[in-house]
Amino acid sequence: MNATVESERTIGHADRRWLFQGIGLTAVIIVLAILFIAINPRFGTLANLINILTQASFIIVIAVGMTFVITSAGIDLSVGSAVAFITVVAFGLIKGGLNPFLGVVFMFALGAFIGCLIGGFVAYVKIPPFIATLGFMAGLRGLALVHSAGEMHFGLPVSLTYIGQGDIAGIPVPVIISFAAAAFGAWLFNRTRFGLYVKAIGGNREAARLAGVPVNRIEVMVYVLMGMFTALGGLIMMTRIDSTQATIGTAMEIHVISAVIIGGTSLFGGRGTIYGTVMGALLLSMMNNALIIAGVDFFWQLVVMGCIVLIAVAISNLREQRIPLLAHFLRRAPKGAAANNPADGPSH
Amino acid sequence: MKSDTRTDARPARVLVVERLSKSFGGLKAVDDVSLEVFEGEILALVGDNGAGKSTLVKAIAGAQPPDSGQILIDGVARQLNTPRDASVAGIGCLHQGLGLVDTLNVPENVFLGRELTTKLMNCIPQLDQTKMRERTIELLSGFGISLPRLNDPVVGLSGGQRQTVAISRLLLQDVRLIIMDEPMAALGVEEGRRVLDLVRTMSQRGISVIVITHNLEHVFQLADRIAVMKNGRLVGLVNAQATTRYDVVRLITLGKSDQGN
Repeated sequence: MNATVESERTIGHADRRWLFQGIGLTAVIIVLAILFIAINPRFGTLANLINILTQASFIIVIAVGMTFVITSAGIDLSVGSAVAFITVVAFGLIKGGLNPFLGVVFMFALGAFIGCLIGGFVAYVKIPPFIATLGFMAGLRGLALVHSAGEMHFGLPVSLTYIGQGDIAGIPVPVIISFAAAAFGAWLFNRTRFGLYVKAIGGNREAARLAGVPVNRIEVMVYVLMGMFTALGGLIMMTRIDSTQATIGTAMEIHVISAVIIGGTSLFGGRGTIYGTVMGALLLSMMNNALIIAGVDFFWQLVVMGCIVLIAVAISNLREQRIPLLAHFLRRAPKGAAANNPADGPSH
Repeated sequence: MKSDTRTDARPARVLVVERLSKSFGGLKAVDDVSLEVFEGEILALVGDNGAGKSTLVKAIAGAQPPDSGQILIDGVARQLNTPRDASVAGIGCLHQGLGLVDTLNVPENVFLGRELTTKLMNCIPQLDQTKMRERTIELLSGFGISLPRLNDPVVGLSGGQRQTVAISRLLLQDVRLIIMDEPMAALGVEEGRRVLDLVRTMSQRGISVIVITHNLEHVFQLADRIAVMKNGRLVGLVNAQATTRYDVVRLITLGKSDQGN
């Protein structure tokens, strides 16, 4: 018998589609940057570039965690509230005399604990992630307000403010932390069993279960990871401005989820890209920065961001062929054996 | 009701099902069924809807433990309470949905649940993607198959290619027996033929296959023996070469053949 299926080009090239997408987004960023510099040269200064990176740093950190969550076909709306709760409690303890190092450890532990609770509700109580984290969004914000309503915490020890304000060879520490977090996240996502299982659960939970993937345990771990990245993001935020309050991080989930979606991670779960997420966060940060320089009102910045998100998801849906008519124009020509593929979209 | 085709030249018995029964409420879905499958044999399991075929194979695949009866694999009685138990015992099941994760690529699907790992800097475990890819190509080429675009999500593959990936998954596990539920359904003629070829190749290599199908043409093209079920009972177990389509249809619909049973 000879059941050879089509082409011999079986090996030796990377996953071109994702590469293509990453390059596409990077190209958009570069083109926009050139445009902004042309409009206002102040945009292109090194100081402003570093400013953009610094402003993006905590979004990048939390968005890396969110990439895991969304790829597992989940969502976490509670990150902003979690940042508020974790930072006000930790700030209070550190101001109350807790060793700063232990304070940081406490933040991560609290973030992991919150993630564990969310993951437990999602995986074992079977509450849809949207609803479960909506509950946590309200609940954690409430707890933060109970803890310190109307209070403004400030005055951290220098050992901690270094995290948010220090620099190494001119590069701000938050930027270094965010890129380290992204590199770690990318490794975890692409090169480990955990990352594979996250994608498997998001792509087809039942198939993953039948293949022996401990789906519930992995799902809890995803939210624990999210909680720890949230804690790290909160740590950067509070040490950068050396203060926190119960209303910090309001509407932050919008920025974070937007960065992930713009980056190309599928809202339907199953696939994602950390590189795209970082680029998405940088794009948003750059847009905000440009709008500030242009003197555009903060409220309009929100409108612009909303439009970017809608356009990004629309493009992603077209590419994933959920809109068949236009997909024809956007899809790259199928080659070889792909010719006999049915043209309908992914089956989930 | 005894097997009427047994000869002494038969190879080893891979699977023996002894007096298996399973009820749902008052309904006897599988009623005292005994059956054996030999090494490298292709056994077609046919019967009308609700005849008990699926319940029977679910018991063998560990997806639905029986109420009574025994399952022996390679002569050893096994308690198959989960799909994992069956998999460990050497029984693989090809579900209708194939159990693939659409968003993962070919090697990831083939190795999901039993990944190969390597150590990063000799201490941190991580996936050995190179080796998984090489092993996948090796597995596929062993069956004369090469898939283009191994690194793309399997959602882009055709039905037959997806079958191939799902079967590779099972081959990787060193299965003794593969259960296939309507493997040719929803495939084009050409793709269906390829899957038939693949099943024959597996059988030549000593892997036993139980195929559930409604397509009698495929049954006669493929099967060594045909087991017919009706109302939960095994009403016939015939040698494919020694019977006719007419007889099999009579067994399916009436529960008896012309020769009487």
